Amino acid sequence: MKHDFLDRYSRRDSLIHRQSAGLKLTGALVVVLVTVIMPRTAWTFFGVTGLILVGLAGLSRLPALFLLRRMLTLEPVVLGVAILSLLQPGGGVIFAGILAKGTLCLFTMILLANTTPFAALLAVLRRLRCPAILVTTLALMYRYLFVLVEETERMNRARRSRTFRRQRWWEWKTLAGVIGQLFVRSTERAERIYSAMCARGWK
Amino acid sequence: MTPALEVRDLSFRYPDGREALAGVSFTVNPGECVGLIGPNGAGKSTLLLHLNGILPEQIQAPVVFVAGMPVTEENLPTIRRQVGLLFQDADDQLFCPTVFEDVAFGPQQFGLDEAKVREALAKVGLAGYEQRSPQHLSRGEKRRVCLAGVLACNPQVLVLDEPTADLDPRGRRELKDLLRQIPATKLIASHDLELVVELCPRSLVLDGGKIVADGATRALLDDSALMLRHGLERPHILQHHHPH
Amino acid sequence: MHIPDGFLDAKTAITSAVIAGGGVGVALSQVRRHLVRRKVPLLGLAAAFIFAAQMLNFPVMGGTSGHLIGGVLAAVLLGPSAAVIALTCVLVVQCFLFADGGVTALGANVLNMAVIHPVIGYGIYRLIRHRLTGQRGMIVAAAFASWCATVLAAMVCAGELAFSGTISWGLAFPAMTNVHLLIGLGEGLITALVITAIARVRPELVAESLQPTIARRSGEFVGLGLLVALGLVIFVAPFACPWPDGLEKVAERFGVKSVATMLPAPLADYQVPGLKSAVATTAIAGAIGTIMALGLALLLARILVPKQTDETRFS
Repeated sequence: MKHDFLDRYSRRDSLIHRQSAGLKLTGALVVVLVTVIMPRTAWTFFGVTGLILVGLAGLSRLPALFLLRRMLTLEPVVLGVAILSLLQPGGGVIFAGILAKGTLCLFTMILLANTTPFAALLAVLRRLRCPAILVTTLALMYRYLFVLVEETERMNRARRSRTFRRQRWWEWKTLAGVIGQLFVRSTERAERIYSAMCARGWK
Repeated sequence: MTPALEVRDLSFRYPDGREALAGVSFTVNPGECVGLIGPNGAGKSTLLLHLNGILPEQIQAPVVFVAGMPVTEENLPTIRRQVGLLFQDADDQLFCPTVFEDVAFGPQQFGLDEAKVREALAKVGLAGYEQRSPQHLSRGEKRRVCLAGVLACNPQVLVLDEPTADLDPRGRRELKDLLRQIPATKLIASHDLELVVELCPRSLVLDGGKIVADGATRALLDDSALMLRHGLERPHILQHHHPH
Repeated sequence: MHIPDGFLDAKTAITSAVIAGGGVGVALSQVRRHLVRRKVPLLGLAAAFIFAAQMLNFPVMGGTSGHLIGGVLAAVLLGPSAAVIALTCVLVVQCFLFADGGVTALGANVLNMAVIHPVIGYGIYRLIRHRLTGQRGMIVAAAFASWCATVLAAMVCAGELAFSGTISWGLAFPAMTNVHLLIGLGEGLITALVITAIARVRPELVAESLQPTIARRSGEFVGLGLLVALGLVIFVAPFACPWPDGLEKVAERFGVKSVATMLPAPLADYQVPGLKSAVATTAIAGAIGTIMALGLALLLARILVPKQTDETRFS
């Protein structure tokens, strides 16, 4: 299975996709910040923001089903924490408020992530004088994330195909084996990348 | 004439003490395209890394010369500009988040014009790929981006490590045609003997860290005893076009 | 443990972001000073590694599953400051590429999982390593430190939620802590197993951790374990006061059972009798849990390393 689907949509073409990364990042941050600061009962604001976001999603021409799936994958995290608030006095209002806030912010970030290539966000960070080592690490991480995730999948499949025993202990040990192997391979790859960087004159 | 590449009695041990290269000597003239063949573990990749000064810590006296210039610590920036190295695994060589940044990496480090980037991408037939990310490319495309990254630095010598490994027939054909068009001096290490036959008039056979044969590729590959002794096999195309 | 947007108020978000920023800043300056050039790509690859490792779920109890945080694992393999950078990058990518974890909560998430988890965990790891040498010592230290770090990070996370007025302390603290008393066991087990697996194939990668350190008296070690346990309790006690919990009223409204079932399996038992003082009982549960986790870590080391090959010394 290819994992590049996770950021494939960020490279489509639409009115929203064509806007500069800096603009979209600022816009998303403003929406999230204002939403978070608003009182928990600002229903009109939540409603209007929600409508605007849906409008933007329409303009971005992202498949609705894909957006819905991303929302449904991430919503349990919001719901899981929010549900705790139900158990306290006046919990109903808090629950509804943070659920609305959490969902709106989630939607904003999903829109940002799927209309802006991560590389473009990195370029913004670089322009903002974010520490070089952090930007380099982020760039390398983003680049090799997909390579490593695929490697993990492969190893995990191989592990499963050789596991006949359904024992807890055995499962833990092989899982640890996969993670350990993954780390060893990562360090070896890091060495080779270092060579490749030097070969092209890295100073 | 100054050779484009000269190696004089190069020996190298891995940090764990294993001997990788035991007195390797050869020269490559400007404009030549030379194949480097040999079984797995013969030391091919190690040898190629030396040509670019990637393993310099262990070298005492200079034994590798690029266009007459010894590979030493102070010459490294020049050497690395002149010798372009294409690594075995394209994923190792494509370490930037976009194609443009990756191809521009070399020119940026060497202080070259970034206009070279578009030029190099056009040369490998990938104009318009600038903003793509490596994870969205096919293996053949990845390989060609790597090549563009090397070509953007205008190297005099191209050193390629298994350029056709993991390519499908079409990717392989495209790469082969591309390599043919590049005028630089080339040294190609490969198990793909058909590629070596087609591109390289001359070949070196490396086994056990030593050059065991150096001569015309067809003659070497026709020598069944030599091929068998060093774990190689005569490619099919030679069997079809036998000289007799 | 990823806090989404909308759960933290401004003061909590800013405070935790400032503390997290300070931590990351110190780590950055450390890395800039000490990281050799050769290791720069490793930092990025290690971050991708942690990300991939976090995607692998492990079974907890009753059908639920947890996943690795990986702070202590990263700290043992890379050193604490490199681990802070790597984990920060993991959280940033999760936030901006996958919308996992909020932007306004990024500071808090970095503080919990990228600063507290690796740094405190590594501190505990070193402390134990100073007193317990050999492979067994490494396993005990890694497992126990991971457990402590996970529980501690969860406690701080609960504190942040309570401080924001989102979920009262009396509710957030027991819920978060109790779940992570269990998840921490998984984290500890996986961390110890992974480090053992790596040490077997490439011992030089964990060479620093394998180095025999000066062995001290065993009594000191036990004392230290108790000290950490006590520390967790003391850490908890002052927090218990400023947020009077509405748990009593909740209990009246929903009935005691619904709250009790919220809290997962075995350690929830500590909860039931003293629901009125859930925080205090959780603290006690935490202390008992600490001793249990330490015992389990020692047991794990005994299982994994047969006696004849062990060079652990309680001298």
